[in-house]
Amino acid sequence: MKKLGVVLGSLVLVSLGLAQGTIKIGNAYNQTGSMSSLDVPASNGAKLAVKEINAAGGVLGMKLELVSYDGKTDPATITNMATQMINSDKVVAIAGFTDSDSALALGPIAQKAGIPFVTAGATSPQLPEQIGSEMFLACFGDNVQAAVGAEFVYKNLKGKTAYLVWDKSTEYTTLLGKYFKDAYAKLGGKLLGEETYKSGDKNFSAQITKIKALPQKPDVLYIAAMPDDIGTVVKQFRQAGLTQPIVGGDGYDTPLLVEVGGKAADNVYFTTHALMDAQKGTPEVKKFIAAYKKEYGKDPENAFAALGYDTIYLLADAIKRAGAPDPAKITAALMQTKGLKTVTGSITFAGTGSRVPQKAVTVVAVKDLKLNLAATLAPSYIPKP
Amino acid sequence: MKYARLVVALALIGLLAGLGPHVLPEYWVRVLIVLGINIILVSSLGLSNGFTGVFSLGHPGFVALGAYVSGILTLELTKKGAYLPDLPGFLAGVQLPFLPATLIAGVFCALVAVVIGIPLMRLSGNYVSVATLGFLVIVNVVLVNAEQFTRGSRTFTGIPPYTDLGWVAGWAVVTLLVLSRVAYSPLGRAMRATRDDPIAAQAVGIHILPARLMAFALGAFFAGVGGALYGHYLVSFSPATFYVAMLVQQLTMLVLGGQASLTGAVVGVSAITLLSEVLRNLERGFSLGSLQVPAVFGASQIALGFIFILVMVYRPQGLLGDRELPLVTGGRVAKGAGPVYKDTVGGGRT
Repeated sequence: MKKLGVVLGSLVLVSLGLAQGTIKIGNAYNQTGSMSSLDVPASNGAKLAVKEINAAGGVLGMKLELVSYDGKTDPATITNMATQMINSDKVVAIAGFTDSDSALALGPIAQKAGIPFVTAGATSPQLPEQIGSEMFLACFGDNVQAAVGAEFVYKNLKGKTAYLVWDKSTEYTTLLGKYFKDAYAKLGGKLLGEETYKSGDKNFSAQITKIKALPQKPDVLYIAAMPDDIGTVVKQFRQAGLTQPIVGGDGYDTPLLVEVGGKAADNVYFTTHALMDAQKGTPEVKKFIAAYKKEYGKDPENAFAALGYDTIYLLADAIKRAGAPDPAKITAALMQTKGLKTVTGSITFAGTGSRVPQKAVTVVAVKDLKLNLAATLAPSYIPKP
Repeated sequence: MKYARLVVALALIGLLAGLGPHVLPEYWVRVLIVLGINIILVSSLGLSNGFTGVFSLGHPGFVALGAYVSGILTLELTKKGAYLPDLPGFLAGVQLPFLPATLIAGVFCALVAVVIGIPLMRLSGNYVSVATLGFLVIVNVVLVNAEQFTRGSRTFTGIPPYTDLGWVAGWAVVTLLVLSRVAYSPLGRAMRATRDDPIAAQAVGIHILPARLMAFALGAFFAGVGGALYGHYLVSFSPATFYVAMLVQQLTMLVLGGQASLTGAVVGVSAITLLSEVLRNLERGFSLGSLQVPAVFGASQIALGFIFILVMVYRPQGLLGDRELPLVTGGRVAKGAGPVYKDTVGGGRT
């Protein structure tokens, strides 16, 4: 009986010891609901990163532990989840989300509790200002990718005139269109007009007719679109005889572009976080794809898998430099991040005064149903968030 | 005696609201806040859907209007300049406290309900459902396009986080008190009469339109209030927050609890809120002794759907049907003399 007590007691001690030896990070993604097609790959990327880091000995001699909940793409569930992570699980930092609505639901709670929150893929550069000092982006902001899009149109494609089409039903496409307009005008490009549609629309003949009726043919079309729509948009524009280059943002980074668009997707260019290609990608991308494939038996679905992965490495780096799993120290260390090499480029916050990293933007060109690297650019002018 | 019970109930709720935030973990405070807001929203939906038989699908439209109206009225002036630079002058310079903003949101929704209700409440059966669904779609499109007021489809953010357990508990009590006074008054009997047999109701001198309109507008008022509370709880939202997903959730809670019963609405909301919280935590995976159950995200929705089907098969009238706690009816309805509840629209077995 006494022996049993000793065994039980030592078990308790061991488990306590283990509990003290882990650093808990909140894994906040929408595993179900409309954002899950981007969030699940990102969450998988995060899990892979944690596994690698722990296999290599962890951080500060402790293992990382991901605390996962499902946000269900529902703001009320996300607020509950955030409170649980912070108050019950005592996470020291939160990584997550690929859209600004979800980030804005969680952000204020993390801010109030003083827990650093790094979003993997919500690209609105306004987030840090809207939420506060604990909010960081692991991805570039939409102002940067739109500026790169504008420079690519003006310099690489020699597009002196352009026409802007944007989806007015989401924050992302609205901002992207706005930033493009700003940056393109700054470069000296001439916008011949703009037209809107709503995500889910199946017929774009109104927009097409307007463009075809223009007295001057635009050199390039810039279309700010959501992943679900871009295939259909490209197909209809091409069928109507609009053969100009079509340029857009990271919403195009979905297999649907080529699957739905087919040959129509030729001469399409888009800005994104990294070219997810096992042959043509950078060495970091190749290494990531191989590791992801080994873990999940399939290629990464999109660049968000890499962003989820990078977010964990960004946090691990900050925790290491903080010297202790203490939220305030991690926030301070995050601000000092300098030249951290990640799959989606290098992240620097130190000295920029911004919590949106100034990453180089990858421009991808579509040809014969294949994605190719067109350019890697850092913009010379960045529109204000 | 009946007042004694009411006083005890109120005192308990007051105690909960006052002490809750100090005693309970913040997670449970948040669950209770959402529960309270849903009680306001679902019981006000029940007044038109259950008591008058006007099966409205437009309720989230009023919730949205309430959230946006109160959000615009309470936004700090500096934030207004940053987020809503194109607001017309009379709105750009106002910043109201929470209570007046909530009341204005409710009154605004009630006025909208009267305006659209005058034509719509003449319809009945499926037609009124489709028409009110049309209202929901219109509200969504207007919110997306009225950019100078709402930031369009972009997230409306920066709203002061005024909503706490005290406000929610207080408004939930006011809602239930007002609704129970109305539902079990002569006016409420008129509402139920127009539901059970419009022709007979007219034959005894009940005007159908005013009775239905009253229920619709009162429901809209509390939907607006609930929307304001929800908006100041979330502190950022977009038109998509108040759309079909919210409608499905409200209808599920209402139908599960029993449409023609305020007690039922409270039971339905509580059951679904607690159940989905429990299931949500279970689906993250757990260990039972040596048995490790892995995380299966999405399982909670499947389990909830299954439970809902079971309830509908065995209790199509909902958990409570049209029964009420005596506290709610205040002794104004004799035992066993309740109305014969026949649902002609909402999926019950008739």
